[in-house]
Amino acid sequence: MTDLQKNDLQKIIVVTGVGVVSPYGIGVDCLQQGMLSGKCCLTPAKDVYPGFEGTTASVSMPLPAVESNSRYSRSDRLAVVAAQDAVAGVDCESALFRESGVVMATTVAGLTETAPEIAQDPAAWYRRGGLKRAASYPVAHVADAVGDHLGIRGPRCAVSVACASGAMAIALAANLLLDGVAPMILAGGSDALCPFTLSGFSSLQALDPSPCRPFDQNRKGLNLGEGSAVFVLETLAGAAARNANVLAVLRGWAMTNDAFHPTAPQQQGSGLAECMRVAMEMAEVGCDEIGYVNAHGTGTPLNDIAEASAYETAFRGRSRPIPVSSTKSYFGHCLGAAGALEAAITITAIRSGALFPTLRLTDPIESPAVDWLRGEVQRQPLPLAMSASAGFGGSNTVLIFGSGPA
Amino acid sequence: MTASPLAVNITGIGSVSPYGPLAGPIPASTVDPSVITAWTTPGLRRAFLVSPFRPASIVQGLKTRRLDRLSAWALVASSLAIQDAGIDLSQVDRSRVAVVFATRFGCVELTEAFFQSALAHGWSGTDPSTFPETLANAPASHVALLHELRGPNITVGSKGFAGESALLQAASLLRHGQADFAIVLAGDVLTRAVYEWYETADLLSPACYHSEPLPEAGGFIPSEGVAALVLESAGRREARSYAQLSSGRWASGGQPVEAVRQMLSGSVPTLTVCTTNGAPCATSPVAAVAREIAGPDAAVVPPHAVAAGLADTSALLHLILALSGRPNGGQMLLLGTSGDSGFAALLLELP
Repeated sequence: MTDLQKNDLQKIIVVTGVGVVSPYGIGVDCLQQGMLSGKCCLTPAKDVYPGFEGTTASVSMPLPAVESNSRYSRSDRLAVVAAQDAVAGVDCESALFRESGVVMATTVAGLTETAPEIAQDPAAWYRRGGLKRAASYPVAHVADAVGDHLGIRGPRCAVSVACASGAMAIALAANLLLDGVAPMILAGGSDALCPFTLSGFSSLQALDPSPCRPFDQNRKGLNLGEGSAVFVLETLAGAAARNANVLAVLRGWAMTNDAFHPTAPQQQGSGLAECMRVAMEMAEVGCDEIGYVNAHGTGTPLNDIAEASAYETAFRGRSRPIPVSSTKSYFGHCLGAAGALEAAITITAIRSGALFPTLRLTDPIESPAVDWLRGEVQRQPLPLAMSASAGFGGSNTVLIFGSGPA
Repeated sequence: MTASPLAVNITGIGSVSPYGPLAGPIPASTVDPSVITAWTTPGLRRAFLVSPFRPASIVQGLKTRRLDRLSAWALVASSLAIQDAGIDLSQVDRSRVAVVFATRFGCVELTEAFFQSALAHGWSGTDPSTFPETLANAPASHVALLHELRGPNITVGSKGFAGESALLQAASLLRHGQADFAIVLAGDVLTRAVYEWYETADLLSPACYHSEPLPEAGGFIPSEGVAALVLESAGRREARSYAQLSSGRWASGGQPVEAVRQMLSGSVPTLTVCTTNGAPCATSPVAAVAREIAGPDAAVVPPHAVAAGLADTSALLHLILALSGRPNGGQMLLLGTSGDSGFAALLLELP
């Protein structure tokens, strides 16, 4: 291989491992099988959180024991289990692996461990056992849990940009790999359900009491879920050097901000549309080449209409409508993990050629540029697909994955 | 791995710190810890606090009534940094301006307020206006809103090195053409829950409990504030550069000495090492590492107490304080080490 070829391979970011903990269970196969069966994991919230109305999707199976000197929050444990799943094909004793980095997204982090009493008399709550629990509060703790558990010592950081966090962690990890700061980076997101977020979204009247209906004219809001997805990312040169199996290529990524409103998206979805444009530009693909978009698709009235407008803008001029679905209809909105889980589903779609429909989509938003996937799973070759994420604070992140080395 | 080559300029400085809200370098002065009065303490408790000020008196027309202090400070610090950089945002493509914010505790003030509302009214009676502002990225999104910045908007945390992480992520955005400018911010707000966590964990300096000067001792004095820098690639004609960020290393483990020496390529004739964490004294472990890297005769600046109190987000205020000393040319190494959390090293070329 010439130096020029090697240099080119160092500019291509590939996915060589995917680990998932979802309401379907552990592993991407479990996720895929569950979704292919059309199973919806949304159940009444009161089953898990007595006193809460609405619908959620929790990881109901017991998580494998994770030994640690420090106390792990549920978000930490979900992340560690997903990371272990992701590195199943990696030599975790190698020096290369030890130098790896970690970029983990979360919004909830250790809030699961914190009780309201902390605000009344913090010192007393700490003395009653809260001290160790509160140590997991900073968002950085999730990245540390993953890094410490796997014994890796490259750069670590957490990303917390609301519901775009999981996708942004992947984008930032890709940037760091291009900078050469680590030979491999574990990147993804993890968030657990907890009363804090259930109460917060409920107070905003953003929750649909029934299973959500993304992109439907009669949508009423979102459902919260929990889970984690972690990816092994590296350059194609690195993957080739260790004969790693390349699952997908991260062809393009982009991040923008609406700069419009603290919680509401810009109505025309201009920030998200620009994000898609920039990602396609980076991937050097036209809008006709994208075969599927895994949407943010929360099911809230404002998000979905803005997102539909974004597709109208970004895919204007396309010869046929762009197939779009929201897989939040299967297991809810996993907040900081959502973008990562949906990236895993996007890669699964590319690898299997199965495009998952949006569940309960009976009366879609009118959007001529969009082919709203509903009903049965569609099967078709899918060389390129996009995953779109957006969040409170106006953050947008778009990832474009491809089926093999470009 | 090789150090990441960055080559971006720091062209603007702004801060809201115990020194007050300031554009540009921080004039040399001494700040003593303040007595905490915001909540009832069991005796004398001190910290480096930001004195209350009216944001609109610093940034004309700035509305912060609905915001927590962290977001308000981020708005003021970013405005002061942009002003200091001499950037007219109306002449800039704002879709090419990124915001990168580093924090350890995020909007903890409002998280506590949300918990208070849950205690008072139950989980079904919490305050809807508070919840979105509890998210860690609220300050960065308010900065984007105020200045209409539509580029990447990133909030990061990193144990021990959140500030360094933000600087390196911002430099990476510029290097990869994902932004032309980056507003980098780092900071935290001190609340009762945070202070008492430090206290219960026995992390505080004896100076937190005494008003008279004490000999060097372990622990630290918590601090609060937000520091901001404007980063840009070389090329803007009218830009003045405080320093050029030329490379950086950052790891969560391993030995820093060899890694940083490798980054310095063995040549350290004019190196000043500014250390960024640990006790603010010459015998701090980080100072020993600095001497091992740069040699016994190297100029090593111990951690600055006010900045060190910011813990994970201390790097930006440390950097501002170091640049405020008007160093004369050469190279500056911003070095942070932590026994269990690794190290971060940023190499800067000074004009």
